[in-house]
This record gives sequence, C-alpha cells and structure tokens, in this order.
Amino acid sequence: MKIKLDGKDIECDATKTLLHICKEHGINIPTLCYQESLKPDARCRVCLVELNGKLVTSCSTLPSDGCSVITSSEKVIKARKMNVELIMAGHVKACNIDNVSHNISGMLEEIGLQGIRFDPIRDYEQDLGSAVVREDNKCINCGRCVRTCAEIQEIYAIDFASRGFNEHVAPYCEHNLADVACIKCGQCILHCPVGAIHEREHLFEVLRALKDKRKKVIVQAAPSIRATLGEEFGMPAGSLVTGKMVSALRKVGFFKVFDVDLGADITIMEEASEFLRRVGKGGPFPMITTCCPGWILMMEHFYPEMIKKDYMSTCKSPHEMLGMLTKTYFAQKEGLNPDDIVVVSIMPCTAKKFESTRPELESGVDFVLTTRECAKLIRHFKIDFANLPDEDFDSALGVSTGAGVVFGASGGVMEAALRTAYEFGTGNSVTKLEFDQIRGLDGIKTGSIIINGKEVRFAVASGGANIRKLLKDKDKYHFIEFMACPGGCIGGGGQPPHSTHETLVKRAQAIYHADAGKGLRKSHENPVVKKIYAEFLDKPGSEKAEKLLHTYYQKKSEF
Amino acid sequence: MQILKKTELAALKKAQELGAEKVIELLDKKGLVGRGGASFPTGKKWRFAFDAKADEKFVICNADEGEPGTFKDKFILENNPETLIEGILIASYVVGAKRAFIYLRGEYDYLKGNIEKVIKSVIKRSRLDVSVEIVVGAGSYVCGEETAIIKSIEGFRGQPYYKPPFPPVSGLWGKPTIINNVETLTCAAQAVLFDDWNSSLRLFSVSGCVDNPGVFELPVSVRLSKVLELAKPRGKLKALFFGCFGGCMPYVDMEMTPENVCGQDCVHGSCSVIVVDDSRSIVDLCYVIAKFFAYESCGKCTPCREGTVRVLFLMKKLKDMKATKEDLALLEELAHHIKNTSLCGLGQSATNHIITGLKHFREDFEERIL
Repeated sequence: MKIKLDGKDIECDATKTLLHICKEHGINIPTLCYQESLKPDARCRVCLVELNGKLVTSCSTLPSDGCSVITSSEKVIKARKMNVELIMAGHVKACNIDNVSHNISGMLEEIGLQGIRFDPIRDYEQDLGSAVVREDNKCINCGRCVRTCAEIQEIYAIDFASRGFNEHVAPYCEHNLADVACIKCGQCILHCPVGAIHEREHLFEVLRALKDKRKKVIVQAAPSIRATLGEEFGMPAGSLVTGKMVSALRKVGFFKVFDVDLGADITIMEEASEFLRRVGKGGPFPMITTCCPGWILMMEHFYPEMIKKDYMSTCKSPHEMLGMLTKTYFAQKEGLNPDDIVVVSIMPCTAKKFESTRPELESGVDFVLTTRECAKLIRHFKIDFANLPDEDFDSALGVSTGAGVVFGASGGVMEAALRTAYEFGTGNSVTKLEFDQIRGLDGIKTGSIIINGKEVRFAVASGGANIRKLLKDKDKYHFIEFMACPGGCIGGGGQPPHSTHETLVKRAQAIYHADAGKGLRKSHENPVVKKIYAEFLDKPGSEKAEKLLHTYYQKKSEF
Repeated sequence: MQILKKTELAALKKAQELGAEKVIELLDKKGLVGRGGASFPTGKKWRFAFDAKADEKFVICNADEGEPGTFKDKFILENNPETLIEGILIASYVVGAKRAFIYLRGEYDYLKGNIEKVIKSVIKRSRLDVSVEIVVGAGSYVCGEETAIIKSIEGFRGQPYYKPPFPPVSGLWGKPTIINNVETLTCAAQAVLFDDWNSSLRLFSVSGCVDNPGVFELPVSVRLSKVLELAKPRGKLKALFFGCFGGCMPYVDMEMTPENVCGQDCVHGSCSVIVVDDSRSIVDLCYVIAKFFAYESCGKCTPCREGTVRVLFLMKKLKDMKATKEDLALLEELAHHIKNTSLCGLGQSATNHIITGLKHFREDFEERIL
C-alpha cells in the first residue's frame, strides 16, 4: 500500500498500525498507554498523528490506501502536549522523586511539557497489600496494569471502577488488593509507567535488623538475581554479576550470604524423588511444580480441585527450604539460637513476599526483598557496585550446581528435575544435559523422555494466560512446571521494570551460560546437598524432610 | 403518523419472500438511513454483516436513548413495539442472526414488561427461530455508543473502544453484529412493507420553553418555523439546542436539513430541539450541559476524562463571574481539544455546546468575565 508520510511517498504494510510504520521509517512518536506486549487501547491519546487532516491515535489506526499522515504538525504537537498536561495534572503533586520505576521522563521531554495549568484534585487512599501496594493518587489511568492483568495473566484482579473523572483502578468491588483473588505476581508493577503500583517495601525492616547487634542477619539470593541485578546499575541486560552481588551484600553487612540455588538443588532432590514415587505408584498425574508462589495462589483461587486430586507437589519453594535449613541445620551446626537469625531473601518476585507470610508454611524466611529493593539497599550504602571485586557465597549453604541456576528461567525447574529424576530412576547418567525442547521464551513448551522404558511427557508454561491454556489439556502430561510470570523468574514482578522481549532473551542466556560454566550441573551431585542429607535430613522424603521442606495448600475464594 | 403504522408480520413475510439480498437492495433504494444520529445508510450496514462469514451473528437494537431532549424512541417503544420487534426479526433474518438484543435504557425499565410480552407474542406468531433478549442498561449515557453497548452486553465495563473493526465485521463476542436504533428498525419493517413509505419523515423531539412539547413527525426538510408553530414557544426566542451534544444556534428560520444545521456548526443528530427563550443565559445552560458530560464521561480516554471536568470547573468559574480572560481562552482551547482528540462520539461532541455557544453567543460569555 502507498501512503504519504510527512510528505514523502512510501510503501507500507496495510496490516501494520501507523505507529509501527512510523517507527520503521525512523519517526519516533511518543507513547504512554501503548505497550508492545499488550493490545492497543488508544486511551491516553498521546501518540496522536494527523491522518488526512484528522487527529487519530497512531497505536490503533491502520493506514488506508493513499492516505496522508503527518506526525509533527503544530496541530499534532499542541494536541499531544495538552493531553500530557491533562494527564500529569493529578500525578505531579503525588509523585515523589524517589521513584525508580518512572519511565515516562523520556516521553515528557519529547513532548516538551512546561508547566501545568490545572490543579491536582484526586484524593485516594493507599491500598497497602501484603505484597503489592497501589497509590491511586499517582495513577494516570493509562490502564497498562489492568491490561497486563487481563491479557498476559488472565487473572482480572484489577479493573477500572467508577466513571468519568472518578475512574480509577480498583480490585474487585473496591476491596483491598490483599483481599481479592490476586496472585501477587507483580506483572502490573513492571508495566506501570509512574510507580503508582509497586511492591510492599521491606527495606526499612531489613535495615533495622541489620542494626540490631543481637541478630544474625543472613541473606540468600535467588538464581535469577545474578542475571538481572546488573541492569539496576546501568549494566547491559544479561550481565552476570554473581560475584559482585555477593560482595555487595557482604558490604551491606549481612552475616552470611547464602545461595538459593542450593535450596533449588534440595527442591530437586525432594521433587524428583516425589515424582519417581508417583511413577512407581502410577499416579496421580500430572505432578505440578510448586516453586512459584504466584502459581500456587492462582491454583488456590481458581483451580482448588487440584489440591484434592493431589496434582500439586508438596515441596516448598527453594528459598523457603533454604530458609528453614538455615534456621535448623545451620543454626544447630553453628550453635546459634534460631530466634536470633533473620533470614532475608532477595527474590525476583513480589508473590514471595506474600508467601513468607503464609500460615501453611511456618516460613523460615523473615523478609523478602525484590531485585529492585536489593539495588536500593546497595545504593543506600553508597556502594560502587560496578567496581566491586568478585566474591563467593559462604560455603556452609552456598555451594550450588548448574541445575539450581536454571531455576531462574522458564523450563529450568523441569530441566533440573529431569536431570536428577532420570539418573535416580535409571541409575544411568544423562547423556545430554540440555533439554532444548523446554528452553526459550515460548509461553508453552512440551517434550518427553523415556525413563525405564516408560515415556514421561512433560510440559512447561509461563504467564497466567499460558497456564490457563495448558491446564485445558493437562491430562496429557505426567509432569508440569508452571511459572506465573512470562519467561519465568527472569521476567518476575520484582525484576527491573519495563523489560522487552530482548531483555528477557538476554537474561535467559545469562542463566544458561552460568549453568554451562558450572562444574557441577546435577542437583544430586552437590556436595553440600549430600552432606545435609547425610548429617541432617537422612534421605529425600524422610520424616524430617517432610516436616521441614514440605507444605500444604488451602482453597481460596474465586473473587 | 407513519411511524405508528403497524406491519402485523406482513413485513417479515414479505422480507422472507424477497430474500435477504433483495431486502437490502430495497432498503438502499428507499434510502433508509440510521436515525440514531450518525445517519449511516442502513442497507449498507446490513450488507456488511450479511457478507461477513461467521458461525454466529447478532442483532442489537439500541434503545439506550440517553440524549437529553430526545424521547422519540420511548414514543415508539410505548406505542408501536410490535413493528419494532418485527424490524428486529427482519434484520435477524437478513443477516442470519439467531440471537437479538434490545439494549434498553435503564430509565425505561418500566417498559420492559410490556416489551417482553410483545416479543413473546410476535416471535410465537412469526415461527422464527430467533430469540430477542432485553438487556437493561445501568444508566450510563455512553452506553448508547455502539461499541460501548457491545462491551456492556458482554458483561464488561460499558466503555467504547476504537474502530475499526466495525461491529458489522466484528462486534458482540467478536462476531458480526448490526446495531440499529429503535426508530431505524421500526422504519425498516415499514419500508419493506409499504410501497408509499416516505423516507424523509423524521420524528422531532421538541422541548424547552414551549407550551406543547412532544414528538412530531415531520419531513426532514421542514422549516424551523413550522416546527415551532406546532410546539408553541413561550416568550421571545433566543436559541435552539440540538440535544446536549448537537450544539446551539440562534433562531433562524431555515430548512431543518442536516446540511443546514451543519452550516451553523451544529449536529442534526436525532432531531431533538430544545427551545430557549431570552430569559436564559447561554452560559448557565452550557454549565448544566458541561456538568452532564463530566458526569457521563466513561473515563477511558484522556481528553474526555480529564478535559470535561476541567471544562466544568472553568464553566463554574465563568458562571460565578470569577473567570478571567485567560480562563475563557483556556476554555475555548480545551473545548476544541476535546472535540478533536477524544476516542468516541461522546467526547467528540462533549464540547459542541461551548464551541457553538462561543461562536453564536460570545457576548453571553464575555459579560461574565471578571
């Protein structure tokens, strides 16, 4: 199709929106409510262009044959500016400077907004959830969070309420987010351009614990943090910063720095054994992984029948296992009083914040910090992150395998479990460690493996919408891994925000790179794991392991 | 009145004899256009849905008549629902829909029982396998907008979304859907049956400073003086408002064709005329209308959500004689901005009253300036 773009005749694809076409021709159009991963909503009216003399939103408009598009006439620029002025009128006063996830400054600069002629008039209360906090006074009604929750996660925990000027984002029936069927995945946070929705911060509590001389504050970092923390300090996506992270955390003043990868290895020992027990008994299948607290909440809210049918593995998540072992095994060994130990997890996740308060768990973890909070903590102590030397985790609970690292990406738990289950089941070693069928960023991945002559079919899904899709034919599989965030933990709700698909690809590459670089790549070969079982837990699935490392689930309301 | 002529299922029978394509051709020939305000040719709309390939199609009758000063659909729903239902059945037959909906304005809830009775009896006699369901709105003005109706029936928030795709291609639940106004569907049945059906006759809703308000059936090119003669205005005529969204103009005796009305920068719309005498100030009326739009904005797009309330604040200032020259300039800027950049018809016409008010009655505004 031929159109006129800013006076130039060009050839364009009729199925692409004007925004796309402009981008292809090097014309940058400011956007706000538009996100590549979401359907256009055309609500903010910032991406206006002139189409045959009429103002239209470029994100939602397709070209017509021979049409004329003007992207920078005075009319366009004035209209964009006015809309941004109207949008920002309410936000500016509520917004404080300390707002890490603010990503519209570029857009504002481009628009050239000077001064706002309207007074702020909104006044809402904060919705202080256990994991996710909403501040409607900062909200600019772009609807990205609402669309993320509906389109990517299919949870529908939040939607708009009221109308006109009173329109605001609200959970079901204007309840607090903590009281509705929200899975606390935090994907909304990643998409919020103004920080009106963010994690419940626990930095203050952690700082207080660090100052308390009686407390031994132990930190443990999740597998994916090492692949994403660098981004918070201006490094390119996919930078692996394991050593710097450990040394920064030590500088902050933590007593020990442990590796959740070890918890992941133990999870695999327990989960692979549980799976083999099920194979021996002939069911119940599918067995579904339980490392992801977002998925657990989704199951409890929307698929509670799975609890009765025993599809869910009973394993706690890796950081909960490690937290528990820190307070039992490690405390015992070092002669410490468990009450004096404070365990802080650095997680890519907001749902983990909720998880650590679950009564079902008797959690061993006291506080959970997201990747963003961790970066804040490091910045708080004015540590020059980029120039730190590399250090190793504390060896007591800090030795891990490649199997533990891959937990950070979607498909990783399955891959690690299969490496161990295959060897436990057959007694032979796995010839190829990489399960390529379940790597990559596809929402749903499937594969199969033969263990003792039996075909084991497995599937992996990440992102709420994909989980719902895969659940429709779950009966085809024996073993399923679910992660609530697209891409797994590397795309978690606690990660650096506004990541693109390319960012996720790079983060995943870093994770698999870390796996390949490890000498030990199977969980059951981890010497510390072996030691813990020999000295403390006996064997996977033992009575003690059941008590400390396993949990149960409870049905929750659908609304 | 032509609109009250009953078709007694003969129209449906004739439509079935003619077949879908011929019915569409007939409507094209008779020149039936949408009576809800946009004046889109009905035959053309039906053809889009007829041509669309889908396993399921829907017909929606838009009875969400929320425009202040418009009450012609109510008149039909009260006095000739049989013909309306027949129109819906004809539309369903033509496009091949098995389910049809009447989206009834929340405030017309009291009509529901009677319409249901009529639906039952008409469907029973027609022996057509079509269900007609009544969905009662919850009192939102924007739900008269076709995409908002779709969202509302689907059970979502009644908010418009951007077009294309247009409903006849992808509408209710993503299926081809035709949405027609009550008057349009009633006329469709009559146009199919009666050879002498006159497409130029429209229903005028006249209200305001008149002694005889009501619905009048008149040719679309009727002179304004003739309309007022029937309605018997009180006092000295000052202005006419075409509903809330059509804008206002000083009284000029002209033919009421859409072109002439447009010439005054107003929107003809659904032929509603609110008569204003010279005891009123346009500013006060514009303030009331601004309040209406700020209240009825759905909140989706920025200019309408944020703009209409700012317009209201400025109008309040002006009304209370606290506004400055700059405020008036900002008001005018905002008014044009909202009109030019809003998503749906509501926002695009939410400031017509101010734009036309400033054009025709600027002195009313300026005398209020501080």
